[in-house]
Amino acid sequence: MVSIARKNLFEDIPRFLVAQAGIMLAVTLVTIQTGVLKGFSLSTGLLIDQSQADIWVGSKDMVHLELTKPILYEQYIQAQQVEGVAMAEPLMLGPGFWSSQNGELTPLKLFGFNSEGKLFVPGKITTGNVKDLKQPLSIIADQSSLDSLKLQKINDVGQLRSLPAKLVGITRDTQSIAASTFIFTSLENANVYVNSGLTSKVNCTVENNDFNCTTTFEKKPEKNKNSESEMPIIEPLTATDPITYVLVKAKPGQDLEQLKQRLEKALPNTKAYTTPEMAQKTRDYWTKRTGVGFILGMGATVGVVVGMVVVGQILYTSVSDHLKEFGTLKAMGASNKVIYGVILEQAVWMAVLGYIPGMLLCVGLSHWALQTQGIMILITPITAGGVLGLTVLMCVGSALFAIQKVTSVDPAIVFKA
Amino acid sequence: MINKIVDFPSRATFSSMKSAKNLNVAIAARGVEMVFSSGAGSYHALKNINLDIRKGDIQLLMGPSGSGKTTLLSILAGILTPTAGSVSLLGKEITNLSKQKLAEFRLKNIGFIFQGFNLFPALTAIENIELALNLQGIKGKKAKEESYFLLSQVGLASKAHSLPRDLSGGQKQRVAIARSLTGHPPLIMADEPTAALDSHSGHAVTELLRKLAKEEGCTVLMVTHDPRIVDVADRIVYLEDGVLVDS
Ligand SMILES: Nc1ncnc2c1ncn2[C@@H]1O[C@H](COP(=O)(O)OP(=O)(O)O)[C@@H](O)[C@H]1O
Ligand SMILES: [Mg+2]
Repeated sequence: MVSIARKNLFEDIPRFLVAQAGIMLAVTLVTIQTGVLKGFSLSTGLLIDQSQADIWVGSKDMVHLELTKPILYEQYIQAQQVEGVAMAEPLMLGPGFWSSQNGELTPLKLFGFNSEGKLFVPGKITTGNVKDLKQPLSIIADQSSLDSLKLQKINDVGQLRSLPAKLVGITRDTQSIAASTFIFTSLENANVYVNSGLTSKVNCTVENNDFNCTTTFEKKPEKNKNSESEMPIIEPLTATDPITYVLVKAKPGQDLEQLKQRLEKALPNTKAYTTPEMAQKTRDYWTKRTGVGFILGMGATVGVVVGMVVVGQILYTSVSDHLKEFGTLKAMGASNKVIYGVILEQAVWMAVLGYIPGMLLCVGLSHWALQTQGIMILITPITAGGVLGLTVLMCVGSALFAIQKVTSVDPAIVFKA
Repeated sequence: MINKIVDFPSRATFSSMKSAKNLNVAIAARGVEMVFSSGAGSYHALKNINLDIRKGDIQLLMGPSGSGKTTLLSILAGILTPTAGSVSLLGKEITNLSKQKLAEFRLKNIGFIFQGFNLFPALTAIENIELALNLQGIKGKKAKEESYFLLSQVGLASKAHSLPRDLSGGQKQRVAIARSLTGHPPLIMADEPTAALDSHSGHAVTELLRKLAKEEGCTVLMVTHDPRIVDVADRIVYLEDGVLVDS
């Protein structure tokens, strides 16, 4: 079939380009919003995904990875004794702030873990070695944060709270877009950075066969610091030190649901999650409870609406300009099916030809954002396919206006000079 | 629709059925009336038109501007529905057909030629003809060959890949004639085909149309007020103020 739709479309190149720009804009808006949402959601759970643990045990009040109450180091020791546990490791999260050499402050989230362990994985180390965290007051940072921390290379030093911190490794694929800058260090270092000067007490009572514990923190006596200016003494943690999670590896063949129950029973005031559950809980918080998902979803909707208006407008004008041709087709005896087919074909051409550059732009943008901003815009094949479907739907939907216009054409107009 | 049949004078309906049986009549109109009504009032454009056009004839419909020629042609082609009366084409009563059936009928049986050529400006000469063939269900290579053949019949094979804007008026109308002949329609309806042409090419175009129509055995109804082309006609009728005046 001679494609009058395609030829009419390319006949007026400037108008065609305006239409394509509009569709590109819509495609880009939808893809970027969805990509940001997906990348955002993915980034909030990256560290959980990468962990080698089967189960995460945290406070029963845990809301998401970074929002929880402390548990005790003692509970990590107890967890190792629970039947079915092959391995357990403590993980401590704590707040901090970074003062770079020129005095700029950056809020931090500090992750203290067993640098000889296997269960917590601080991303993909690109430079340096996790083992180097054994050095006192040493840290690993994500490469996406180096700029803001004013760090450039291994052995560069900044200040974490009031203590010095030396960069011994660079990692990637750890940073959550939603959180402050992640810094990784050993459990002992973290304890000093976060809790120096603090000690904790747990008071447990038994009521109706239920443990009821409260943890209180007090200023430690100044035994850890010799004087204001000197280095603190780095010591192993003691039973009463607060940590945040116990990561558990199950023995082969264990039923994880049962193991979770045993852990919760053995460790009062805690709740256990499988690693996928933990990741999901964290992602749900960020995408649903914070309204970020809603906002990005609105952005995507605006994209679709803008696209529909632009395409609808362009198709409508195009059909109006070619009304006499549609009248001629009708007079010649073309069926409505053929005439709608011409308009729909035009719409599909516009969709596809707007989609391709739009998607290329998005892929380029997502690379750029990751390289320079550390922001992940995740464009999966499913997103790409979905956006293509949506673009075609959008164009076909707006073609309905134009179809309505052509339906009312009286073929008698062909005889009007 | 049913109301309309009941409203007809029974004599008109009867005589239209009689003419439908007449194998020599290609186009028959009985008691055709056309009243255009608008908000301001109404205009009686055609009054009691009765007309038989013989098969194979080149029939001219002449008359001054505004006399109702285009309106009558549109009704006879099944594009406009008359206020009253009936039309039969090739023995088939068309007045009561649905829009869709009318379109199917036109596609199969009527070739159109317009004063303003009505070529598709984005399509080349050959594609304009191909499109018409495509509509009739002839596609692909066969449509290409057939289009080329038709173009060479109107002497424009060398312009096959030119766009309408690169053709002269006479050439455009020759492409339109080739297009009207796609699918060998028994009827050709032309509304002032020479009005936009100079007298030389106007004459050449009508001569060509006459020649091809005679070869194909087409019946041609041509509306014109161009007295220079009367010599191509087998018969001529005149319309004045919506009334047919026999010659
Ligand atoms: N759609 C219409 N609505 C109202 N009046 C019309 C319409 N079409 C034609 N007329 C009127 O009918 C008369 C005949 O028009 P037309 O058939 O075009 O004449 P011709 O083709 O002989 O010049 C004219 O006065 C014209 O104004
Ligand atoms: Mg006219």
